[in-house]
Amino acid sequence: MLQFPQRISLCGFGGQGIILSAVLLGTAAVTKGGLYAVQTQSYGSEARGGQCQAELIIDKGPINSPVAETKNLLVAMFQTAYEKYIPILDEDGVLVIDPQLVTNLVRPIANTFAVPATQIAVDLGNRMAANMVMLGFLSECLGLLKAEDLLEAVKDQVNPRFVELNLKAVQAGIDYAKDNNLYYHG
Amino acid sequence: MAEELKINPLRKYLREDKLPHFFCAGCGCGQVLNYYLQALDELKMDPEQMLHMGGVGCTARIPIYIKTDMFHGVHGRTLAWATGVKMVRPDLPVVIFAGDGDLSSIGGNHWIHACRRNLDVTVVMVNNMNFAMTGGQVAPTTPEESKTMTTPYGSSEPRFDVCSLAVAAGATHVERWTTAHPVQCKKAMERALQHKGFSLIEIVSQCPTHYGRYALKTGDPVKTMEYIQSVTYLKEQGEKMTVQEKEGKLALGQFVCEDKPIYIGSNMEL
Amino acid sequence: MSIIRANQLDAWEKRVDTGVHFMLGNYALVEGAISAGCNFFAGYPITPANEISERMSQRLPQVGGKFVQGEDELCSIFALAGASLAGAKVMTATASAGYNYMQEGLGYCYTIEAPVVVADVMRTRGDNFASYADVYQLRYGCSGDYEAIVVCPSSVQELYDYTIWAFNLAEKYRNPVIVMSEATISLMRERLEIPSADKIEIFNRKYTTAKPSEYLPFGAPENGCPDFAPLGKGYNTIYSLNPHNEKGGIDWDPDDFERLYKRVCGKIRENADEICRTEQYMMDDADYVIVTYGSEVRPSIDAAKLAREEGIKVGVVKLCNIWPVPETAIREVAGNVGKIFAVEMNIGRYCNEIARVAAGKCPVVPVTKNRGQIHTSAELLRVIREETK
Repeated sequence: MLQFPQRISLCGFGGQGIILSAVLLGTAAVTKGGLYAVQTQSYGSEARGGQCQAELIIDKGPINSPVAETKNLLVAMFQTAYEKYIPILDEDGVLVIDPQLVTNLVRPIANTFAVPATQIAVDLGNRMAANMVMLGFLSECLGLLKAEDLLEAVKDQVNPRFVELNLKAVQAGIDYAKDNNLYYHG
Repeated sequence: MAEELKINPLRKYLREDKLPHFFCAGCGCGQVLNYYLQALDELKMDPEQMLHMGGVGCTARIPIYIKTDMFHGVHGRTLAWATGVKMVRPDLPVVIFAGDGDLSSIGGNHWIHACRRNLDVTVVMVNNMNFAMTGGQVAPTTPEESKTMTTPYGSSEPRFDVCSLAVAAGATHVERWTTAHPVQCKKAMERALQHKGFSLIEIVSQCPTHYGRYALKTGDPVKTMEYIQSVTYLKEQGEKMTVQEKEGKLALGQFVCEDKPIYIGSNMEL
Repeated sequence: MSIIRANQLDAWEKRVDTGVHFMLGNYALVEGAISAGCNFFAGYPITPANEISERMSQRLPQVGGKFVQGEDELCSIFALAGASLAGAKVMTATASAGYNYMQEGLGYCYTIEAPVVVADVMRTRGDNFASYADVYQLRYGCSGDYEAIVVCPSSVQELYDYTIWAFNLAEKYRNPVIVMSEATISLMRERLEIPSADKIEIFNRKYTTAKPSEYLPFGAPENGCPDFAPLGKGYNTIYSLNPHNEKGGIDWDPDDFERLYKRVCGKIRENADEICRTEQYMMDDADYVIVTYGSEVRPSIDAAKLAREEGIKVGVVKLCNIWPVPETAIREVAGNVGKIFAVEMNIGRYCNEIARVAAGKCPVVPVTKNRGQIHTSAELLRVIREETK
């Protein structure tokens, strides 16, 4: 279980559903888990079309400063984004990467997990669901949130046309952690 | 025996405490007010059940003299006010008195968009061909080569044909007359008040004090009106006139009168 | 009585989305407006306020209201004036550059005493980064004599709560009220708890009971505001920007002129203690205090906690509104601490007001930042350490 306050950065490139992932995590934490959360994102000209980052703080009580200067979880789904945000990860933090899109690790982090989320999503029929695979994995591996809360949030927030695919993708992420016995014991 | 004192039957519509009015001797605004009150009286419309607006300028002062609810005093924004009012009180008739500067210069953007939307209001635009209240400066409606206080060597800008612009922008009832056409003005206003949608009645009017003195070198109201007569022609006559003959002149008459859906703002039934 | 409950509004069940949400700040502001009874919105696209217009265009038709996208900001603000005088509760949203254009219409609303609510999602010049550089513009932007009311939410929850407060103040004092926001909280998602409708207090404007012949459209008690009359019902009111007397007639008599502006300003100035709100954190034993507003409250509370871990007793006073200046609260604090830190996201503006009110009772240290981001708690802690050596 990741320690509170959970200071999370999700990064990748525009179109991967990075921000939606952060919104779903926050929604599940607040509306299902009874927790507090603050989600911000990079915006402005610099963030368009290229790198994209969503930040999320989850805690048991009200959160003041909306942006944490360092993170204890970094989820990276693209090499350049990984390189930009890896310096702000705590030494004992958790790094989760998609190994097909983040191929060159520049800083050794003890708790590193590789999840081929994009490949799993492609196998399910739509690469757009990679973010959901990742969320399923985070739920199972880190205990970041309860799987049923996440599944509820997906049903509430996601376009009905894609709910079935996304639910399958979340389950695939959970299964990936289970099948490979990938659990964080921090 | 003393003759019985006759009171003008339209006087009941006036705010007596505002009289005497502030218009210059010979100004066309008083005529326009008279034609308008005749139109209201003819249609038995009660100005107390209506809303009138004037922005800034001589024309904007016309409704000050009418017993009615009224918005006044911000230059060019009457149609923006009306857009808000009509979304909340579509039942309330709104009539706007605007000068040529108020409507087509500073208020130009609101005006073309109100035409486009077919906002259900009546606009009476008094075109005296200059900014009069501020002392006779050039306006978008000033004829080319006219000398005004800010075009001492003559205006080098072409002018707007306000009616053509309104028609092009989507207004559904547009007419132009002059102060020398009392019956036509009254009838046009009656049609406008009954029209559902955007009505523009342009009334070309004399400003002897400024346009008369600076551009026409006369402060005489009659001579100013004669000038207006010389630079306007009936639309029907225009069909027999050459392009050269029409050069620099304004057509009078009705340019459009059609039914189209009026603006009702956002709604879920589209 | 003009106080009603939100559940007495038409379609209130559609207006108040009771429950716990994880919501975008700009959306929370819209929900606050809808809960307060807003039924007209006019806006013009501008980042970072667009989510407000977008959600309004979706929400207002659901509750029988009207949304208009004007041709420019002038249309928005004057359409608000018209709709407000026609009886609606009205709002627009813009950002700094768009707020510039609205001064003319706001000036009209101040003068003819039209209740309108304007959200200014303040931003840096030419880009969408966070800033509070325009705090003086919110107070002094228009020509003429008037007093502004500006409320300053610091969280998504307060964007909801303070917007309801803003509508109530606008209706009560017949004055424009500005909801000051900026990109950090407007584009942030956070926990929002919407109470049940019967817990939300709503204030509605007063309408006259006088006959048209007796009605004085601008007649009011000293430092009070007049009652409204409906349009088109024979009350024959002139709402003119020009100086006007109690009857509404345009009037250049200096006595009438003075009476009008004294009342228009006095109704806010003389009721400042009733309008103003502040909140205190860790003030019981504080030797130093951070006085701040808006999103800067957030790192300030963290910085005070960090300073206390080092033995420096710092408290925080949050100004829930910046105009009118909460003078009573600032004066009291100034007499009780060794130093005030005036934290703000600009080159140093409101610190002048704090110093004016503190009037030498204690030093006021401006802690400013104009880099498109709010302060971090570490930055504030560094200043506190330095200044308390």
